[in-house]
Amino acid sequence: MRFFPKVFVSSLIFMAAAMVLLWSPASGHASGSTLRVGIAEEPRTLNVWMATDANSSKILSLIYQPLYTEHPETLELTPWLAKAMPEWDADTNTYTMELREAKWSDGSPVTAEDVVFTVNTIKSFKVPKYHSEWEFVEKAEAVDKQTVRFYLEEPRATFLTRSLINHVMPKKQWAPIVKQAKEKEKPLGALLNARVEKPLGCGPFVLERWQEGNFVYLTENPHFFGRGQTIQGHQLGPHVDAVLFKVYGTADVAILSLKKGDIDFLWWSVQPGYLEDLQKNKNIRVMINEKSALYYMGFNVRKKPFSDPALRRAAAVIIDRDFIVKRVLQGYGARMDSIVPSENRFWCAPNMPEYGRGLNREQRTKKAWKILAQAGYSWKRPPVDENGRVVSPSTIVRPDGNQMEKFTILTPPADYDPNRATCGILIQEWLRELGIPASARPMSFGALLETVKKNHDFDAFILGYGRLALDPDYLRSFFHSDNDKPGGWNMSGYHNPEFDKLAEASIAEMDTKKRQKLLYQMQEIIMENVPYIPLYNPAAIEAVDTRTFSGWVPMVEGIGNIWSFCSVRPQ
Amino acid sequence: MNFSAETRAACNTAAAKRSYNLQRFLDGWALFYENPVGKLGVFLLACFGVMALISYIPPLIDPMYHPMTGVDPWISNATGPSAKHWLGTDNLGRDLFTQLLTGARIAFMVGISAAFMSIVFGTLIGMIAGYAGRVTDAALMRFADMIMVMPSLLVVLLLASLFGQLNIWIIVLLIALFRWPGVSRVIRSQTLSLKQRPFIDMARVAGASHMRIIFRHILPNVLPMACLYMTFRVTSAIIVEAALAFLGFGDPNTVSWGMMLQWVWKTGHMFQAPYWLLPPGICISLITLSFYLIGRAMEEVLDPRLRKEENFE
Repeated sequence: MRFFPKVFVSSLIFMAAAMVLLWSPASGHASGSTLRVGIAEEPRTLNVWMATDANSSKILSLIYQPLYTEHPETLELTPWLAKAMPEWDADTNTYTMELREAKWSDGSPVTAEDVVFTVNTIKSFKVPKYHSEWEFVEKAEAVDKQTVRFYLEEPRATFLTRSLINHVMPKKQWAPIVKQAKEKEKPLGALLNARVEKPLGCGPFVLERWQEGNFVYLTENPHFFGRGQTIQGHQLGPHVDAVLFKVYGTADVAILSLKKGDIDFLWWSVQPGYLEDLQKNKNIRVMINEKSALYYMGFNVRKKPFSDPALRRAAAVIIDRDFIVKRVLQGYGARMDSIVPSENRFWCAPNMPEYGRGLNREQRTKKAWKILAQAGYSWKRPPVDENGRVVSPSTIVRPDGNQMEKFTILTPPADYDPNRATCGILIQEWLRELGIPASARPMSFGALLETVKKNHDFDAFILGYGRLALDPDYLRSFFHSDNDKPGGWNMSGYHNPEFDKLAEASIAEMDTKKRQKLLYQMQEIIMENVPYIPLYNPAAIEAVDTRTFSGWVPMVEGIGNIWSFCSVRPQ
Repeated sequence: MNFSAETRAACNTAAAKRSYNLQRFLDGWALFYENPVGKLGVFLLACFGVMALISYIPPLIDPMYHPMTGVDPWISNATGPSAKHWLGTDNLGRDLFTQLLTGARIAFMVGISAAFMSIVFGTLIGMIAGYAGRVTDAALMRFADMIMVMPSLLVVLLLASLFGQLNIWIIVLLIALFRWPGVSRVIRSQTLSLKQRPFIDMARVAGASHMRIIFRHILPNVLPMACLYMTFRVTSAIIVEAALAFLGFGDPNTVSWGMMLQWVWKTGHMFQAPYWLLPPGICISLITLSFYLIGRAMEEVLDPRLRKEENFE
């Protein structure tokens, strides 16, 4: 009996010591007002040219700043590092803008030279992430210390909304790296793989420490240009001393940590299944915001069977998008009737064809059957019999008299995105109700992109864009026939001279109202021909601890935005 | 009725042989059934057998009880047990009880077919290695060693992530391909000792071919051992399939217990819906337990040294 307490006490001591050792790096910093943020994965890199993954972008967006950013409520372009909106000179096709008084985190000023350097780097290296947004810019010029002028080769509507929201890089830190990279055999590779220990930024926070696999610790930037200023009615801080990003592998652990009070903000869109439990907790507030996202089913219109628009329209009717939103997304999301999300109010075209909205399963089958029968498809045993009852059909026969061959719908695997994998199975079953021999096949994400984007060896796929830009120029990239090439964004292989003409006109149209009209027409054409069937736009579900911080700014894409991080303050 | 003497004698020996085999089986069964471990195993297995069989019934009652595609028109989120849904529904509104029943069917299918295949490979390779000896033996056994040290789950995961999701039959085949070496080693050692017995020499002297000796004289003697190993292989096949499915690499078109666990986890209901999480978990444990218990009891029948003393009275 006597040894028991001894063992017990020593094991307790051991455990306590282990706990102290395990938690000390994190809790050591947690004093003062540290905002603790839970993220899903380790940032892949802090080299901004390379950072394409969500978590790197999250952290870098607090360090590097753009010239312009989007207003949280109106989503309009708002001057950020720039003092005011740029002046456009239509004759010379130039934009001129002035910078705010801003400093890098080491105290040196942000100058026009930095902006010019950033543009030149993108252009000379053809940095993949940014190059398409700058290729039509002839050059950038520093007029004086604070003024920059951009010379455009042709008028571009997206220059403001896409190009100017990119980060500005410090010449001081990057010029030596760029010089070294240029001497290498593969300059772009050298630039992308350059390791940046301490990114020099001008944002509200600076990197203090990154312990790989564990946490990223940012402290406030004393030289932040927005401090104390009021931009668009938001009094900027930052009002917290530091931000600690903790990396959690799984949502379950992150949510437990949130409930325990280990983190203040879960910057992570969680599955609706967790909601009920989170909403019961008095200390946690769930923030549900709209997203600018597009999840869709795409077809290969280059070859049979989906080269026939009637078949694609029938598929759009039989796919029950309301079912997907109500059950797969549990109601947290919106059905999409156009390629542009309806949350993007200015650009989303109204009155798009509502394939099968509000119909029940039987009505849906009948409507799709009618479309197919009119287009010349036939069945030995049609999906609707003589008495008008829906029955299980035989395999569909194409108008040319051949039975439709089996094909696959490629989806990402369930461990990557359970929703899209589930949609694949659902759509497979719905199509089979029309005798269309579909089968869903989840595929690893890399292989899926390779097949769909490079080899074009597929029939149908389900993919998505989690963060669509607010400017709808992506319509042009998705469906312009010039982009139908290996590696191009026109993955469906859609060709339509009429659409191409509209797309080219839209990019050169500088009048927003006129451009809106052109984009409406483009959306109409696409939704009439449905090379993509837009499926859903999920909501961003995030959660915060109400006891510690307040002042979050909700926006499209959720509360994780620069406005929130500049406004949030301890309770 | 005039049978020749030879025919009658042949009939007699055939009948005698049949009754001898039957008797041997009945004796074995009695021993097996005497063992409470075996009894429990058989009982559990019978329960799962019944589950697998009746899994065909619910979809006939109402299409909403189809395990994969049927959804309750009024329920669109995860709900607990009710009269209409005995175990509740998943987040899409599908009936969990039907899914559980179907899962039993898939578990049997995967377990038994994967185990059977690995036993066929293992027994063949083991017998050939043991009988042929020398270079063939060395080569086959080194090959077996190589396969044996490969972490099967990891390799299957790797293949799944390389080639996209695997069909359930490919998963079965992969499990079988990775799980034969253990069997083949045991069979080989048995074959080695059998090879030295006088009856093999007699067969050889009488002019029997190698094939005949292997399949006619060695195979019947190693078969019980192979059957015993099959029960152990069934459990490992079921567990590998469940693990794969849970990690998201299962066949999305099958409703297995592993898939159910994956769904409950990925949709965020892990700690919210015990009625969804527990049944498949318990079923996986119990079915593997039942095969294991049967294997243990069978071992006692096959290996007299393990029996209790009263059996020798």
